[in-house]
Amino acid sequence: MKCAGPIEVRDLDESSINIDPIQVGGRLTPEAMKAVIAYGDGYSICDHCRKPFRLDFIKTPPVDVFFRELAQFLNMDVARVVPGARRGFQAVADTYVQKEDPVLITALSHYTEVLSVEARGGLVREIPKTEGNLINPDATAEKIEAVMRETGKTPPLLFIDQVDYQYGNLHPVKEITRVAHQYDIPVIVNGAYTVGIMEVDGKEIGADFVVGSGHKSMASPAPSGVLAATEERAAEVFRTTTVKTDVTSRTFGIKEVEMMGCTLMGVTLVGMMASFPRVRDRVKRWDQELSNGNLVVEALRRITGTEIRSEYPRNHTLTRVDTTRSFDEVAKTHKKRGYFLSSALKARGIAGTIPGATKVWKFNTYGMTQAQAEYVAHSFVEIAAECGLPVSE
Amino acid sequence: MVSRPAIDAVFEAMFILTDIRVMLRETAPGHVFSTAQREEASALLNGLENKVEILRRELLQ
Repeated sequence: MKCAGPIEVRDLDESSINIDPIQVGGRLTPEAMKAVIAYGDGYSICDHCRKPFRLDFIKTPPVDVFFRELAQFLNMDVARVVPGARRGFQAVADTYVQKEDPVLITALSHYTEVLSVEARGGLVREIPKTEGNLINPDATAEKIEAVMRETGKTPPLLFIDQVDYQYGNLHPVKEITRVAHQYDIPVIVNGAYTVGIMEVDGKEIGADFVVGSGHKSMASPAPSGVLAATEERAAEVFRTTTVKTDVTSRTFGIKEVEMMGCTLMGVTLVGMMASFPRVRDRVKRWDQELSNGNLVVEALRRITGTEIRSEYPRNHTLTRVDTTRSFDEVAKTHKKRGYFLSSALKARGIAGTIPGATKVWKFNTYGMTQAQAEYVAHSFVEIAAECGLPVSE
Repeated sequence: MVSRPAIDAVFEAMFILTDIRVMLRETAPGHVFSTAQREEASALLNGLENKVEILRRELLQ
């Protein structure tokens, strides 16, 4: 079935249980789906925009209230919506990083953090990870000292991913920000895999900035996200324009320079707003999400040769698994080769793995019902047994 | 001039279909409904028929 012309209807989540590591937290709530129907037109949010002509002043629908509630939700002072977490990184990097400045990221940082520094001409320096794939405060302090010795400068910024995209590991952000602040380094916390699915308290973890992804973890259309800041930092990153043009002498009111004026102007913002009440509520049910995830993790662990590469026990529903000594052994002789696993999953109505991947791969159980989690767990065991792999009780 | 009932019925019908869509997601891949889900689906479909009837009345008669 087509939506229009050559564009197929996308019914992946209606026809399958989706375990794609990046998609599941961004699936829309029913409320967001309905808002998308009503606000699909381009500048739909602007119907009631009046002086001073800025997004966070719109009262119908109540964008002004949403922005305040978003900041409260993260326990930060000011929040703005941005077109994806990456644009939050960019706004902060643009504000603080000058050419040749050393900026700290980690060995598990998302590439868009790197690009935001590169775009400023900054020097990217990585805090190494431990053998267990965690970033710890000792390594952070050592790297800060090393970078200061190397460059003679205090880094103007440190990026830390609260949960990283590679392993889904939960890092000790509070301890890391404490170290960074001893050197007066502001910290930007990448909450792309936490904000909207787990409770995040920005003040408690010592964040100067919290960035979240609407389309990754806040049940929102892409591209959407949030950049929240402390009051002190908000004055810097959300500074307003002061320019006056030379020929026409135009000025631009209270537009925020790093936001490039308004950011999300239609379906993305209204989708975020519509999902927000349910998102605010769902973070309190994280334990149930972990419980569902563990059903699948434990099923995989029963398959001899399979190893969980993420920290264990799991603190997140995104998990990296190594099946080199189980499913990949099957792939060596299977007529479908490495595609047998995704094919067997597809036949059972499970989607979202990379076709052909049988060595190291990731999955995410977020948003499943318990019945669906049990079904996925059972399916992995069943596929293994059908392939002759030993499965423990 | 403006058919308010027709405009409302169009959106309400799409919202009802959205609720059914969500039920398909929650029960994928088997789409086996529990008793409560069958009752919910039945109520939604009755509501949808009502909205279609409003559209027929407002736009075709």
